[in-house]
Amino acid sequence: MNVVVGFKVVPDETLIKVSSGKLDMNVAVKISTYDKNAIEEAVRIKESTGGKAIGVTVGNTDRKTIREALSMGVDEVVAISTQYTDVLGTATAIAEEVRSMNPDLVLFGETTTDGSTSGLGPMVAEFWGVPVITFAKSIKLDGKVIRAERSLTPVVEIVETELPTVVTVTGEINSPRIPTLRQIMESSKKPVRTKEFKSSPMASLDSVEPYLVQRKRIVLEGKTEEVVQKLIEALRKEGAL
Amino acid sequence: MIVVFSEDGENFKSAAALAQSLGEEIAGVAKQELKFTNKLYVTDFDEDVVVDIVSKESPTLVIGGDTKRDKTVAARVAARLRAAYAPSVVDLKSQGDRFVVKRIGYSGVALATLTLSKPAVITVGKGDSSPKEMQTQVIRQEGKGRVRVVERREGKGTVDLGSAKIIVSVGRGMGSKENVKYAQELADAIGAALAGSRPVTAEMGWLPEDRQVGLSGTKVKPKLYLALGISGQPQHLAGMKDSGLVVAVNKDKNAPIAENCDYLVVADTVEFCQEMVKRLKG
Repeated sequence: MNVVVGFKVVPDETLIKVSSGKLDMNVAVKISTYDKNAIEEAVRIKESTGGKAIGVTVGNTDRKTIREALSMGVDEVVAISTQYTDVLGTATAIAEEVRSMNPDLVLFGETTTDGSTSGLGPMVAEFWGVPVITFAKSIKLDGKVIRAERSLTPVVEIVETELPTVVTVTGEINSPRIPTLRQIMESSKKPVRTKEFKSSPMASLDSVEPYLVQRKRIVLEGKTEEVVQKLIEALRKEGAL
Repeated sequence: MIVVFSEDGENFKSAAALAQSLGEEIAGVAKQELKFTNKLYVTDFDEDVVVDIVSKESPTLVIGGDTKRDKTVAARVAARLRAAYAPSVVDLKSQGDRFVVKRIGYSGVALATLTLSKPAVITVGKGDSSPKEMQTQVIRQEGKGRVRVVERREGKGTVDLGSAKIIVSVGRGMGSKENVKYAQELADAIGAALAGSRPVTAEMGWLPEDRQVGLSGTKVKPKLYLALGISGQPQHLAGMKDSGLVVAVNKDKNAPIAENCDYLVVADTVEFCQEMVKRLKG
């Protein structure tokens, strides 16, 4: 079974800091958190059914980060570089690749840590003309049938459809492997095909500002009995209790 | 034409209220007969069916609800209409032939402003504004899509975190699943709903998954949010940043939550809960 897995190279959101009223985005990049779960799932399916796992990434094509995906077991990566594009542009670029590769299954993470639209999987499915299952916390393949548990807070649905299909996975589906030194070494021999994609986005990004809510940041320290007393008084004064 | 849709009745109302403020003809798609749009398609909400209904109206703007299913439908509609897409919008302004919207990005670290060309598809969360009732032409439309539902399990928790006034939320710092009972006792004592971070809900199962607050869980805005042993990763902050008053209880004074709370109590979470309950009951 051939699987295509989409992943995004994003700035590590835990390192983004605010300095003098601006966001410092010049931080280390990483594979977006849940995309790692998608990669892990793609590699597991490839390992159990045979076939290939092909990665596709759009936007920042940082080579070191792409090698991490290859070290985890992806066979090759198509790296599509673009200027700023919206999720619709990204979906257009990926759908083009998917159509030419004609895989059985396409996987994405449930959402990225930068744009967090959760829209890429559904959009690729729509362009490709296949069904989509979003927010899957487990998937099972049986011939041409895929069964998935969808986490649709507070409801869980077990759904079924025929391949080919697009699935987006949640963080609960697996624990992404940590590649061994040997896998990291071998990943340098795996192919990375680079491409360029141009589109004019329908949604243009005008500005990105720090999202801050000013807090009082009062620290209460000391014996638990005393600080609890102080806190209760403060909360009553604020009308919160 | 504006199209409003949501699988959730309350969320449909907030989307309809926004649509009404724009003064255009409105079509709705919902599970129930709600009278806030000029016409309304009532359906059991198969995703393929809803995508078809919404797209066929050739709307200039689509306003969806913010549930996971709503967002899945919205993204597909945007692809089918080749429309600009912006989910979980917190502000919308119409500017000539464009829309200017604001939404949270980078897991809650940033507020982004985007300009959307028409047609556009957005989603909005539940809000305080309610739409006015109007004469509605109701059309029933059912159908089956390509994805079959084999089984449906309703969540165990009947707590609606999204509208809770006080929330007690636990993180890894609570220590163990057994210790969660102390947080529950505190929640009971102050009439709060009990919630948790991603690690304790989705990963370790100390609480059911539907109690998760954060980027991939529920976004909450209670009057008081009590974070017990939660370090304050951006993904968690994204779900509770709009809370009225934030109290954090943590042994570590330098945890990121310290920068994002009104009161930081440096204490053991279990001792804190016991002491709070004792004082409030006594």
